[in-house]
Formats: sequence, structure tokens, C-alpha cells
Amino acid sequence: MLNVEGNIERKDESERENMPLPMGASPMPPGRIGLPSDVPGGIYSAILNRNHTVLDAKRLKNFIELRDKYFSKKVLFEDPLFPADDSSLFYSRQFPIKFQWKRPPEICKNPQFIVGGANRTDICQGDLGDCWLLAAIASLTLNEKLLYRVIPPDQSFTENYAGIFHFQFWRYGTWVDVVVDDRIPTYNNHLVFTKSAKNNEFWSALLEKAYAKLHGSYEALKGGNTTEAMEDFTGGVTEFYETNDAPKNLYSIMKKALDRGSLMGCAIDDTLGFSPPPNVMGPLIDKMLADGQASKPVGARARSGVIITTRLETRTPLGLVKGHAYSITGVDECTVGKNTNVLLMRLRNPWGNVEWSGPWSNRSKEWASLSNSERERLQQQNTQEGDFWMSYEDFIRHFTKVEICNLTPDALEDDTIHKWTVSVNEGRWVRGCSAGGCRNYPDTFWTNPQYRLRLLEEDDDPEDDEVASSFLVALMQMNRRKERKMGAQLFTIGFAIYEVPPEMQGKEQHLQKDFFLYNASIAKCKTYINLREVSQRFRLSPGEYVIIPSTFEPHREGEFLLRVFSEKRNISEEIESKIEVDDPVPIVFVSDRASANKEIEPEEDEEQITNGKKDIIKPVPAKQETEQERLFRTIFEQIAGVDMEISAKELMNVFNRVLAKHKEYKTDEFSLESCRSMIALMDTDGSGKLNLQEFHHLWSKIKAWQVIFKRYDVDRSATVNSYEMRNAVNDAGFHLSNELYHIITMRYADEKMNIDFDSFICCLVRLEGMFRAFNAFDKDGDGIIKLSVLEWLQLTMYS
Amino acid sequence: MFLAKKLIGGIIDVVSNIDPGQFVPSDPPPARRPLAYAEKHENDEEKQFRKVFQQLAGDDMEVSPNELMNILNKIISRHGDLKTDGFSIESCRSMVAVMDSDSTGKLGFHEFKYLWNNIKKWQGIYKQFDADRSGLIGANELPGAFTAAGFPLNDQLFQMIVRRYSDENGNMDFDNYIGCLVRLDAMCRAFKTLDKDNNGTIKVNIQEWLQLTMYS
Repeated sequence: MLNVEGNIERKDESERENMPLPMGASPMPPGRIGLPSDVPGGIYSAILNRNHTVLDAKRLKNFIELRDKYFSKKVLFEDPLFPADDSSLFYSRQFPIKFQWKRPPEICKNPQFIVGGANRTDICQGDLGDCWLLAAIASLTLNEKLLYRVIPPDQSFTENYAGIFHFQFWRYGTWVDVVVDDRIPTYNNHLVFTKSAKNNEFWSALLEKAYAKLHGSYEALKGGNTTEAMEDFTGGVTEFYETNDAPKNLYSIMKKALDRGSLMGCAIDDTLGFSPPPNVMGPLIDKMLADGQASKPVGARARSGVIITTRLETRTPLGLVKGHAYSITGVDECTVGKNTNVLLMRLRNPWGNVEWSGPWSNRSKEWASLSNSERERLQQQNTQEGDFWMSYEDFIRHFTKVEICNLTPDALEDDTIHKWTVSVNEGRWVRGCSAGGCRNYPDTFWTNPQYRLRLLEEDDDPEDDEVASSFLVALMQMNRRKERKMGAQLFTIGFAIYEVPPEMQGKEQHLQKDFFLYNASIAKCKTYINLREVSQRFRLSPGEYVIIPSTFEPHREGEFLLRVFSEKRNISEEIESKIEVDDPVPIVFVSDRASANKEIEPEEDEEQITNGKKDIIKPVPAKQETEQERLFRTIFEQIAGVDMEISAKELMNVFNRVLAKHKEYKTDEFSLESCRSMIALMDTDGSGKLNLQEFHHLWSKIKAWQVIFKRYDVDRSATVNSYEMRNAVNDAGFHLSNELYHIITMRYADEKMNIDFDSFICCLVRLEGMFRAFNAFDKDGDGIIKLSVLEWLQLTMYS
Repeated sequence: MFLAKKLIGGIIDVVSNIDPGQFVPSDPPPARRPLAYAEKHENDEEKQFRKVFQQLAGDDMEVSPNELMNILNKIISRHGDLKTDGFSIESCRSMVAVMDSDSTGKLGFHEFKYLWNNIKKWQGIYKQFDADRSGLIGANELPGAFTAAGFPLNDQLFQMIVRRYSDENGNMDFDNYIGCLVRLDAMCRAFKTLDKDNNGTIKVNIQEWLQLTMYS
């Protein structure tokens, strides 16, 4: 049973109509287990941490601490973050029925967390429409190691019970621990949602609750893809294939996947549709109530495979169930007669019964044509009810979808299974800066984040003669399901891959607009689609490439995770990760006011400023001034007045007078606040005003930066478009990371994503000042500075 | 900027009595709660505030620097006893940056509420410490006001603040006062968070440094 979320919308870059539904996959990065998810990590960690809860009693406690605290107090835990009321159930509607939230000890006499191992019969779907979740849990139960990573076994109703449980999910790159209390929705003392066939077993119900909490509510779980959940449980990357459009080596792909220990599933699309449309919920609830009220023998031994379902399901004449998820547990072959090779697949119906009855099924005649040893070899592998074999041809003919969840090296420790290497990158599309849209939008496409990929070796696929390296790219958008209640929908996303020409290899520059106008992509994802994840396998010769992930339309803000998996080594990294400034200007250090005559040597050549010529510090006695310098000093004295220092007000007046003369900067004037900030950043002697040298330094910079501003103010609007800010900042000699360009956009651009001259200058003055400060403190050049609170406050407040 | 080096170089005894433990920045923003939960537990005053927020924030449910500037200027126009030349867009951008904990570039409800409560508190202190009823905080009134706000800095820092945020006469008007405190509060909190082992020093690399200083 596969529920596909919402309306699937596929967009092709050339706007072709309606291709067959490709399915996406998601990758996972290896992470640390069990870290309390209270300290945000990731690319904006410094900013997020700044406003984060201080490390004291207010920190969110982890599971062990909470459980011990409540156990010792003999009080049952109540989760304030996911309360036992309607807000945790629904976000879009009020329900006519009042559920009672009960803890398992209130529901039955002898509640257990797990009875006799966690297995597929412990998952009986309720009325949530989250069968996709349950199918994933069912696959998970096949692999104990994976299962007990999601369900930590250190919890029970009998020992240290405090009404609190926890589960672990892979979430956009890290494993998070989710804590829940054990109050579950019931009606008439029956669980409303997922339950176990054993009436006193509760791990599956609690797992569902934890997953609901992760997404904000139970309703948020309605409708989804098995693969989404499979990834969240394993950290793997999933790929979809449609059997009617499969690559010719699908069989060998599946065989390889199995060798690697991947989870595999398949299904037959039910053309009648999977889940009932929303307006059928009423009758469904009625049916559920009726079921609940019919006397169910408590404690009776449930048949394995009891599914309490309200779904429509159709069975084919040969015993297959449409709209239902099967697991693929074997890919093999055998020889019939002299030399006819038959490719075989082994499947399992998670219900534990209802099996295929066609050729190669358990009692079919085809087995007789095998040698005894072959037959034993294959049939011995049938250990569970619900398993059956079928031929590969029949499989392709009947099933429509294949899903493979490949596990990262992180998930498996067995040596016999081959491993993947994975590169993981987090990124953002920021409106006005890097939300460039797809190739249909050439003005902004180039601003999307760019990731260089270096393929190093070919893989040894004996079936292939090409010298090529295979890899899988997976792009996942983050946090959209959680923001659903605020109207967020999944974006249409995709990616394109370009080959980097030899002359541009090895350098870390962001490819510009021109490059994409004159070069075609060498590969791309099949189509842009609004799934959580888009993934695709590729085979390319070793070399250097660049991957451009994007939404279909520009200006769509979102966060994403880009993963690249390969059988051999690869290196994918975002460009511009090194932050530096050209020829940083050494600090003019004034040790005391007495020697304040140290001066920066005045720049003689204006053009040289933009090349970042190093300033030499040496005293310049007045009588050696050039004519130009003398002139400058005269003007300065006029502006500065009697105290020979320029205050913020005086600075503001100067700037605004100059701006008034240049019609192209007809914009708001420099504000007093900006001038104050600039003075603070340029003030070397702590006077709060600018002396001649400080003013000269500032003025030279502004002249140089004004030239850059003009260069990028293409439409003469007296503003620079924030998409161009990156290039402007580069021209000024600063090479930053993507996150910093985003920050600059957020801080200095106006509502129309434009940066006016005042903000432009302020930004650069500050950037320069902050680089200078950092370099001054980084005496040993190791890229780290140590600050006391005093230094910290001075540097941050006096700016 | 170089003040720091100068002071460290020369006059270390005078400044060494700063004890970061004495700073009492405002409580950190509360843990995020699901919206529905928060709404149920609000009292009337909070409900009223939420209504105001919804009007102010508009469709995107977030307060931009422009929107912040408008509301702040509207409010101070009603308080004649607070002298000010108005909040500039630059200082509002700075306040949003410093309060923006999820890097959306705007303030969500909790971020805004937190800022608002602080402004209210500090406004009270402003009025209290404006002893001569000038509508401004003079250089001699400043230490008292800031200490009451939870920031017992030393003379050097107060002087530096006066240099940066006050006018030629050493007087600080209301918008500069608020801008300064918002920033000071955030920077103290940042330091405390970064100082994981609580020994009074922090270590940052260039990436973190630039993020923190450029986004403020």
C-alpha cells in the first residue's frame, strides 16, 4: 500500500507534458547517534547558537535524565512539547469524536513494550492513512540491527517505568532522539491508530507517536511515500524504478543492492487510487467505531497477518495484492534443463499470507525441472510464511514499482557487504541571493549553490565496457512536511550536472551566467518533481563536474540536503568554502596616543587600490607630502573643524553633499547610524572620531568601492541587485562562503532584494573591519582566535 | 576596534575586574512550542498581543525590519517623554538580525515577543534613570541605567558605548539606547553560549566570526 502525497506535479525543463511518474529517492548522511537534539548544528550554527538556550537548567534534557528524574519522583512523564490533546492530532480540522488519551497500563493488565521480538505482525494499521509508514516499519523488522537502532531496547513497562519512551530517527543528516510520553489516542479502550496484533504490545503504537511528534502531529503523517519513512529509519538513499520504463540492467541493479544489504520493496499501482479521498473520512470513522464496538475477544491469539484496514484492496487472480507494499528478499537464478537460465525473485507479503500462485510459486510444477541440489538451495531460503518465488519476467509483468533503499556505510558493519562512500552537503536557496530556479531562468540559474564533484575511479562492472564511474545523486528538500500546517507544500526540485572544462578544473570559483548560456548539461535528473527527494544514478567518465540543485521556479526559499553516493571514492564539495580576503591590510596599531603619528602611506595610484596593494606603515613627516596630499589635508581641515577630527555628523554631511552632486546616487542619504558604525570600525585610537589618517583610509576605500557599485548597478537604479552582490563583494577582494553571502543579503538588502549605496558601503566597511580584527587577533595564523568577554564586547559593540 | 588591543596592552589592571558572570542578560527565548499549544495557554494580555502581531506581521507572519521600524516609530510618537529622532531602517535591520534565531531574515512571533518584552522593560528603566527629565540618558546616568538592565559594565566599556551610541554631548536618545541594549543583550548571550566550559574565553574560527559579526 503506497500512498503518494498530494498532487504530484512534474515539470520538465523544456516543458514537455506528462511523463510517466518517476520516483525519487533520498540519501542519508552518516551521523552521530543519540545526541540530544537541543543544539542546532549545520551551516548557520554560529547564529543559531547565539540565540539558543544557555547551557543551564533550561536545556532540554535527554531521555535518560528525564526518565530517571520522573522515576525517582514517582510521577509519570507528560510531554509539554506534544500534549495529549487535539493539537497533536490534527492541524486542519476539528474532529467530531473525542478520543481518550490513555497510557498502556490504563488499557490492559500487563502491557509490554516488545513481546517475543519486534516483527511484522506487530504492525496493524489503524485509521490514519499512514500505511506507507507501516510498510517501512515492516521492512525494518527484517533487519534487527537497523530495527534496534530506531527502537532502543533500553525501555519497558516493567523496569524504571516513568511513562516515557524514546526512538531514534535519521533526520536530514543526523540521528535525532525523540522522546514521547506513553499516552496514546484511544476510543472505547481500543487504540485508534497503529496497534499490534498482540493486544498488550505497544512498541508500534509508540513508534508511530514519536514519528508523529517529529512531524508536528498525527495528521501530518497522512499520505506519504514508503521511501520517506525508510530513509528516516535507516539514513539510506532510495531509488525508484518503474518496471515499464526500467533500465536494461534492472536485474543486476537489484542483485547488487541486495549484496549491499539494501532494503527493497515493490508494489502494483492500484489504478483505483490508494487512499480514500478526505470526504470519505466520515463513513470511515463510523466503520471504525462499529468495529471497535463489536466485541473483540481480549487476549485471544491473533492470527498473524491481521490487518484492520479500511482500504480498498484488489487481488489479482494469481494471488497478488494491488496497492500493497511487498518486500524483495532474494534475487537469484537457476538452470533449467541443459542450459536455460531462469532469473528468479523472492518476495514477501508483509501480511504473512496471500501469496503468488503462478509459475515458481511454492507448489508449482516448475520446481520439478530443477536438479535436486538447486531446488534445495532455493527452497531452503523460504523460512517465513508469506515468502514466495517468481520469475523475473513475471515480476516485471505484474509489478509496476520497485523501491530500493540503499544503506550508507554507517548502517551496516558486516564485512561481507560492499560499502558506499557518501559526500553530504547542506544548502539553502535564499530569495534574492541563491534561489535561482532552473535553466529556464538564465538570469538567475547561475546563482544557485554549486557543488563540484570529482570522480576518481571507474567501478569494475564486468558487464560494461565503458570506462566510467557510477554514482547516485540525491537531492532532498527539508522541513516541508513539518511546515505543512502553515501552508507549505513540497517544492518542485531537481538538479543538473555540467562538465567542468579543463581550464576551470581544480579552481574553486562559482561559474558565472555566461558559462550556462554557452554550455549544455551533461546529465540531469529525469524530471523536476515535487517529491521530498529526487535521486538518480549516473555513469560518467572520471573527471570534474558541477552539480546545480534548484527548485523549478526562482525565488523559492528552502533548505536542502545534497548527497552523492558512489561505490568508489568521490569528492563533492561546495565551491567557495575557503574564506579569505585579498592581501589583508595589516592593522595600524597605535600603542598609545603619544605615537599617534604613525600613518598609512597614502595611496598614490587610485587603480592600485582595487588590487589590494599592501599598505606600508611608516611615519610620513608633513614636509614630504605631495601636492595631492596637501590638498586632501586642506579639505579635511575644513570638514573636521577645530578639533581636527571628523564626527559622525560631519561625516554624514560630507557624504550627503558628495552624493547630492552625483545624480546617479539619488537615493536616501547616508544615515547617521551608518556613519557612526563606519567611524567605530575605522577608529584606531579610540577617540570616537576620525583623524586625518583614519579618514583618508576610509575615503580611499569608498572611492574604490564606488567604482564597483557602479559596475553592478546595471540599470542605473542606484541599487545593486542582491544576486549580484556576491560578485561585487568578490571584486572588492573578499571571498566568502555561501552562508555569508546569504547573511549579507538578509542583513543589507531591502524588501525588493536590492542594496542601496549606503548599505553597500556599510557592508563592505564592516566586512573589512571584521577581517582586520580577526587577523589582528590570529597571531599564529591558525584560523582561530581566542577572546575574553571584554575583547568580545568591544569588538562587537564598537562597530 | 583597536581599543581592545590598546587596553589589553597597557592598562590591564583597570579592566581585569570585569566578571562575565555578573552579566544578567535577559532569559533566553523559550523553547519553541507548537503554535496550537501556545495559543491555548495565553492569558488575555498575550491574546491581545498576538492580535497585534498578526496585524503587524502581515501575510507572511513574520516581522520585517521595515514593519518593525514602523511600529516602533508609531509607538514612540505617543511618548513625548522619550526624546528620539526616530528608529532608522539601519538600526531596525540590526535588531532583526540580532534577534533572528532561525535565520529567516525576519522575526517570527516568539522572536518578536521576546524583543518586545525587552523593549518594554528597558523603556521603564530609561524613564527611571533619566533623572533630569531631559528625555535623554546622559553619560552620568548611563552606568546606572545599564546596570539596572542587567549589564554592570566597567568604566572603559561605558565610555566606549557613549562614544559609539551617544551624541557629541554624551547624551543617548531613546532609539540609540534601545539599539545598543538589544545588541548588548545578544552579544552577552552569544558569549555565554559559546563559552561552553565557562572559563571566560571563547574560541571562534573565521567562518563563525564573520557570521556573528556580519549578521548583527
